[in-house]
Amino acid sequence: MPVREPVSKVHVETPAPHEPTGRKTAIRALTNIGIGAAAFLITCVGLRVVLPFPEIDGGVSQKFRFFDAHKDEFDTLFIGSSRVYFQISPAIFDRVTRESGLPTHSFNFGIGGMYLPETSYLLEQILNLKPRNLRWVFIEYDELQTKWSPENQTSQRALYWADWKRVSLLLRKLTDGGTDPFWLPNPAKLRDIVLRQEDEKNTRSLLTFYAGQFEKNYTNVARAADVLGYFFGRDTKGRRASYLGVASDGYVTRPNRMSPNQVTAYERGLAAAMAQTGTHPLSLYAVEAYRQCAQEVRNIGATPIFLITPSTTQINVATEGTGLTGVVMAFNNPRAYPSLYRSSVRRDGQHLTKSGAEEFTRIVAVNFVELARAGGIK
Amino acid sequence: MSFVEFRFLWFFLLVFIVYWAMRSNTARKVWLLLCSYAFYAAWSWKFTFLLLGSTTVDYIVGQMLGRREGPTWRRFWIATSICVNLGVLGLFKYFNFFVSSASGFLAWLGLPASVNTLNIILPVGISFYTFHSMSYTIDVYRGKQRPISNFADLALFVSFFPPLVAGPIVRAVYFLPQLVSARKFSNIDVRGAVMLFLAGFIKKACIADGVAPTVDRYFAHPVNFTAASAWIGVLFYAIQIYCDFSGYTDMAIAAARLLGYQLPNNFQFPYFARNVSDFWRRWHISLSSWLRDYLYIPLGGNRGSRGFAYRNVMITMLLGGLWHGAAWTFVIWGALHGTALLIHREWIRLTEGLKWATRAMRWLAWPVTIYAVCVAWIFFRAHDLRSAGTILKQFTLFHGGGNEHFHRWFLLVIGALAFIHWLNSRRWFAESWRQWPAPVFAAAYGCTFAVVLLFVPPHYTPFIYFQF
Repeated sequence: MPVREPVSKVHVETPAPHEPTGRKTAIRALTNIGIGAAAFLITCVGLRVVLPFPEIDGGVSQKFRFFDAHKDEFDTLFIGSSRVYFQISPAIFDRVTRESGLPTHSFNFGIGGMYLPETSYLLEQILNLKPRNLRWVFIEYDELQTKWSPENQTSQRALYWADWKRVSLLLRKLTDGGTDPFWLPNPAKLRDIVLRQEDEKNTRSLLTFYAGQFEKNYTNVARAADVLGYFFGRDTKGRRASYLGVASDGYVTRPNRMSPNQVTAYERGLAAAMAQTGTHPLSLYAVEAYRQCAQEVRNIGATPIFLITPSTTQINVATEGTGLTGVVMAFNNPRAYPSLYRSSVRRDGQHLTKSGAEEFTRIVAVNFVELARAGGIK
Repeated sequence: MSFVEFRFLWFFLLVFIVYWAMRSNTARKVWLLLCSYAFYAAWSWKFTFLLLGSTTVDYIVGQMLGRREGPTWRRFWIATSICVNLGVLGLFKYFNFFVSSASGFLAWLGLPASVNTLNIILPVGISFYTFHSMSYTIDVYRGKQRPISNFADLALFVSFFPPLVAGPIVRAVYFLPQLVSARKFSNIDVRGAVMLFLAGFIKKACIADGVAPTVDRYFAHPVNFTAASAWIGVLFYAIQIYCDFSGYTDMAIAAARLLGYQLPNNFQFPYFARNVSDFWRRWHISLSSWLRDYLYIPLGGNRGSRGFAYRNVMITMLLGGLWHGAAWTFVIWGALHGTALLIHREWIRLTEGLKWATRAMRWLAWPVTIYAVCVAWIFFRAHDLRSAGTILKQFTLFHGGGNEHFHRWFLLVIGALAFIHWLNSRRWFAESWRQWPAPVFAAAYGCTFAVVLLFVPPHYTPFIYFQF
């Protein structure tokens, strides 16, 4: 019987627990960051799709909801700032057009403090509702605003319109980037902004502000309130009426007149504005924004009409050679429209009283009918 | 640049990626130092020189203290450091306060004096980084910390961006040893850190900023509100300041952790404290322990007679109040807390061994403490003493003169937040996410962050403690 030889025991070390190398750790970390970022973006986009139109103060939501519910009833739309809101009476406009044999049914979508680029965003949203019978869209013609009042900066009002189309236009204007689709900031301007030259003091903070608004808008910041508002916060009749007006046509009157001191200041301001010689065109960024608006209006088969209201700050806005393919109806000449610049019909340099607004609406309607008859509105 | 702004995210991502891409510890520290100064310069580049100056003085003092010279010279150098640091703090933060207070006092005596105040702004975070820096020289003086030869290390300790502008107050003995060796990414609890950041973000951006408009509205015109609304206003402020400050701290600790550094804990559920001493062991722990070690104990602490110890408590709390801001309302806030601490000590002494007292305090300790803390918050938040008096009358005597009132469901909000806070103290939300696979965790985190943003107000409110 063979003898079993003793076998020496060889000590075998257990392998060390697997430790990932630095490279593997980095790849794993970056992959997880990527997954997290993708989940974040997908959720943001998903939420953006399902969220209702935001609750915006100043009557934006009330008017938007009302128009959505009655969109096919209107063939004429006025959109702009308080200079449209308190100065264009759809009832009077429709009466004049009806009496002139060109009947319309108009709605005033003016909102206090609404200028470009907010106007352009809201118009896009309105047109997205596909109002079937819309034929004429009056858009207030004014400069692209880059500044916001501090009180408005804190609300959703300064946020909801901040999509790339609008924000890129603002960034281009602030950095002198031009209107080409592919743009870069003007190097000289950028240098001044970075080095905080005195005249560019605010530009830097505005750039930061708009970049922040853009990010907040796409990540749905503060939109939970809209969901709650959608289910629980429907408008009361009184609240709706305060924005839509008694005739539910979007027009609200502001009857107060100026005090003697205000009249003096107004007349001085008017004289100074009229004494200025020459006119100035809007910036190419404003024109670009209006060009986009016009295109969108035409895309649904309607006609854009640009409206310059009787305001002392717009007296020198150029109305010729605007570069726009659309009619510009201008009421910024006090000599041509003295009745709109009398202090008795003014609330201030920007706005008319109730009687002034009615007179202005009549003039707009008459001009509109004349132009339409003459084939001037295309 | 604030932690809740998007630009901080981009800034931090850049810092994080470049930091971990570097291999050398020195390079990483230099990178962090540059980023910390850039972070501060985003607020005001001019004041980075103040930060640098403060660091340079303390570096020189540290070197001098390390030369083992006689006690007189050592005292001279530590006095230099304290005088320079407190001098800068005094100039920027307290000069106008003392001058206008003295002028007011002289006018009250019938000796009107025309005084000039300085037209200067308060450098953000000056109270925090001054205390960071002073802890270094005092610890070197005491022999607890070796003088540091590498200036960049000291500069990084003083300017390290996560706790730079609103704490927690970091001590040299806690932080400097962490700079010796390179941090390892594999040692970092990334999940814990990002979850802490999210918790801090929710506290600050959703809760504190969410209640801020109500608080601002109430404290702007307290006289217009009813007594019930005064309670809502004050309780909302208690929520706001806790969520604002502890939210910042959470985010600061999380950001530091992601870079491999530990910062001290600053809060431990302070509103569950059962007495004021307990409250100060849970609220702004880094400040209370700093004041204890560098002020209260050097003053004599508990040694000596009871009166002597009580004097030390009051001095510490008064200066603690003044540290928060140059206004009499802060001094009164400190005095109220000092008084509450003394009352608590006396209560303990007088009721020792009395069963009824123990039994009563089992039920009353928490409500009495939270009530006292809220009364003190009135002075912390009020614009001036007159409006503090109005609020105090409304809050304590239910004497509300106005008609304006907040919606009753605001009380439900307070209840709901208190309940969530209680659940959190029981660690309900603590650890389950640690078990998830990493990609699942990352995806859930991304989704959660996107949903949280829905609840963030449209406008960012600056951190309350930035002003200190």
